[in-house]
Amino acid sequence: MTEAKLDREANTIIREGVVSIINPYDIHAVEEGLRIRERKGGSVTALSMGIPCVVEMLKQVIAMGADNAVLLTDKAFAGADSLATAYTLSKAVEKLKEFDIIVCGKQTTDGDTAQVGPGLAEKLGVPHITNVVEIMELEDDYAECRRAVDKGWEIARVKLPAVITVEKDINTPRFPSIRGIRNMLKPNIAIWNADDINAEHDRIGMKGSPTQVVKTFIPQSKAAAETIMGTPVEQAKKMISIFDELHIKVRER
Amino acid sequence: MSERIINNISKDYDEYLKDESRKTGKADSISFPVTEKEIADTMKFFWKENIKVTIQGARTGITAGAVPRGGHILNLERMNRITGLRYDNGSDSFFLCVQPGVLLTNIRKAVSARNFNTSGWSGESLEALEKMKASACCFFPPDATETTASIGGMVACNASGARSFHYGSTRNYIEGLSIVLSDGSGINMKRNMFRAKGDLFSLTTNNGRVIQGRIPGYHMPEVKNASGYYAEKNMDLIDLFIGSEGTLGIITEIELRLLKKPAYNWGCIFFFKREEHAVKFVRVLRDDSFLPTPLAVIRPVAIEFFNSDALELLRLQKKEGKGFSDIPDIKKEFNTAIYVEFDEDSEKDIVNSVFEAAGRAEYCGGNEEDSWVAATSQLMEYLKSFRHAVPEALNLLIDKRRKDKPGITKLGTDMAVPDEKLEEIIDMYKADLAVKGFESVMFGHIGNNHIHVNILPRDMEEYRKGKELYEKWAYKVLEAGGTVSAEHGIGKLKCDFLKIMYKEDGIGEMRAVRKAFDPRNILNQGNLAE
Repeated sequence: MTEAKLDREANTIIREGVVSIINPYDIHAVEEGLRIRERKGGSVTALSMGIPCVVEMLKQVIAMGADNAVLLTDKAFAGADSLATAYTLSKAVEKLKEFDIIVCGKQTTDGDTAQVGPGLAEKLGVPHITNVVEIMELEDDYAECRRAVDKGWEIARVKLPAVITVEKDINTPRFPSIRGIRNMLKPNIAIWNADDINAEHDRIGMKGSPTQVVKTFIPQSKAAAETIMGTPVEQAKKMISIFDELHIKVRER
Repeated sequence: MSERIINNISKDYDEYLKDESRKTGKADSISFPVTEKEIADTMKFFWKENIKVTIQGARTGITAGAVPRGGHILNLERMNRITGLRYDNGSDSFFLCVQPGVLLTNIRKAVSARNFNTSGWSGESLEALEKMKASACCFFPPDATETTASIGGMVACNASGARSFHYGSTRNYIEGLSIVLSDGSGINMKRNMFRAKGDLFSLTTNNGRVIQGRIPGYHMPEVKNASGYYAEKNMDLIDLFIGSEGTLGIITEIELRLLKKPAYNWGCIFFFKREEHAVKFVRVLRDDSFLPTPLAVIRPVAIEFFNSDALELLRLQKKEGKGFSDIPDIKKEFNTAIYVEFDEDSEKDIVNSVFEAAGRAEYCGGNEEDSWVAATSQLMEYLKSFRHAVPEALNLLIDKRRKDKPGITKLGTDMAVPDEKLEEIIDMYKADLAVKGFESVMFGHIGNNHIHVNILPRDMEEYRKGKELYEKWAYKVLEAGGTVSAEHGIGKLKCDFLKIMYKEDGIGEMRAVRKAFDPRNILNQGNLAE
């Protein structure tokens, strides 16, 4: 989303008519999917739940190299929280049948919940690893991943099929090539609605969302800032006296 | 009025003694006017006192044009309002009225969103805005790389960018100017309002002062050019001010012409394993007659070049720093890159343009798979960061070297030649650099035969030798019918080159024009000539 506007009544983001971008984390997820295909063969299918114009973004994903894509779009999906989204995606995955690994972006940059990936794994009854920065080993039946944790890294091994969610650090996404643009023009994006995936109507969209956004606001900053003027020496002296007042010790090297 | 002039400028105004040339000047006072009347009153005062004045916009120039040499600084950053909009039925075009301190990035945002601060706008402007909101999107074509440049500065330097290959420079989009002269008198000009008669010009200011003179007789090279005054018999006199680097008057209001924004804007980078294939590709992109059979017509809006050293610099920076992590790996076998950009109104046309370009790349020895294509605004932003990464990486490298050798700075050329001289000039650059053993990087607007050759001196001896080489190249480029400054302007740093270009006679003729407008020579001393 470039310029977000809010629907004050539903407390949702107005997405129509706004220039949307692919969630940056998802681009890294697509790239990782392509690299997995380069390592192990197979095919890459991109899946998204969104408004109809999201098909343009899926075209870009095909241009990057995905073999095909599916857009889940239906008025009934609107207003979904992360639980309803995870359910909807899981129904689409069931329709797609088998998979070895599902790669999701860690989170979206508008909702920021980071819950959809793990939620999807639970709905599918498969294990998951979050915050992956490197797939160190990849075999037919397991993946060993390095993941980011608060104070460093953790190595975790997961049995496949599984879901992983990825950090931006995992890779640098490729640009589409000319061949990718040629592929983008072929009809390889399927569009499914709620009935196509046999979704239960009370588990999708706003109806299927036990959580609801009550209020969205930009936090008002109450912090006052003091600007320290003067020559570098004067500024340094003033900063040291402020540190003294705040009882902050400056360690000498 | 005197309270608006800040005297004995303390350390608080240090940054106003510099611009992006990294040169530092000196000044006794500074003011930040917000109206044309304030500017006129200020100039009347300094004219009377015979004190020199340096005009500043956003100080993003790199030729020290805004660096003061004593006297007063007239800084226009607070004249930052978009003051009106006009629609012309005849040409079905919109015209935007802006103060000189408005930044390019803010013009772009406002025009793109069709969202302006309209307080103080006339009824006509508000009506035009309603029409704009109901019409197809517009845009302001000049795409100076530094988007925090002020529009006043862009006009003063006749700024260009990558897309000037197709759209031309700022000059092409100036419909009107209001100017305050060094004595405080004013002129309002519109395009096609005042013309020279042969090489004689005459203008009358708002208070009846008549300014007369002779247009310089030198012949401007037929290339992209930002060196010295625009000079042509029977010329539109508004063009005298555009590119005059603040030496003739202070621009206080500008009317800009907007164009309809094409629906699709895609960019592609084609990588080549051999530089000669890449240069051939540029020829073939520009000129269908180089192809054996007639093919689809394509109209690139920009063609940019990155040589092997530029790509290697990026590979190195990626390895060392996190700053360029969003650039994909550049394969080792890629020697040269050519960036091509297209604007079209339909997806069919832009897809065809890209495929046609790919076909031509293959014809020239490339491979269509060795390409990066940006077909969304998001991807175009990533490609833009790739393009800007080269000069950024250069600056980082030089900053590192300056820590041990403070006198070092990069030596970047800004010269352009006519189409038929492209390969000859590139060969000359390469041969001379090899002989001297200099470290260097070449990149730039190859569509206009305007390549920035950056010498990276390792010590002061190399710096000195590099400057000599630069001067040698200036002579050769001029012999080839080119220009010493295609886009950066002359400022205070390239006066010697301008003298080589137009000789003493030409400089003398420019001085005479300057004297006609500013008889006491108080404006922007040091710019264009000593």
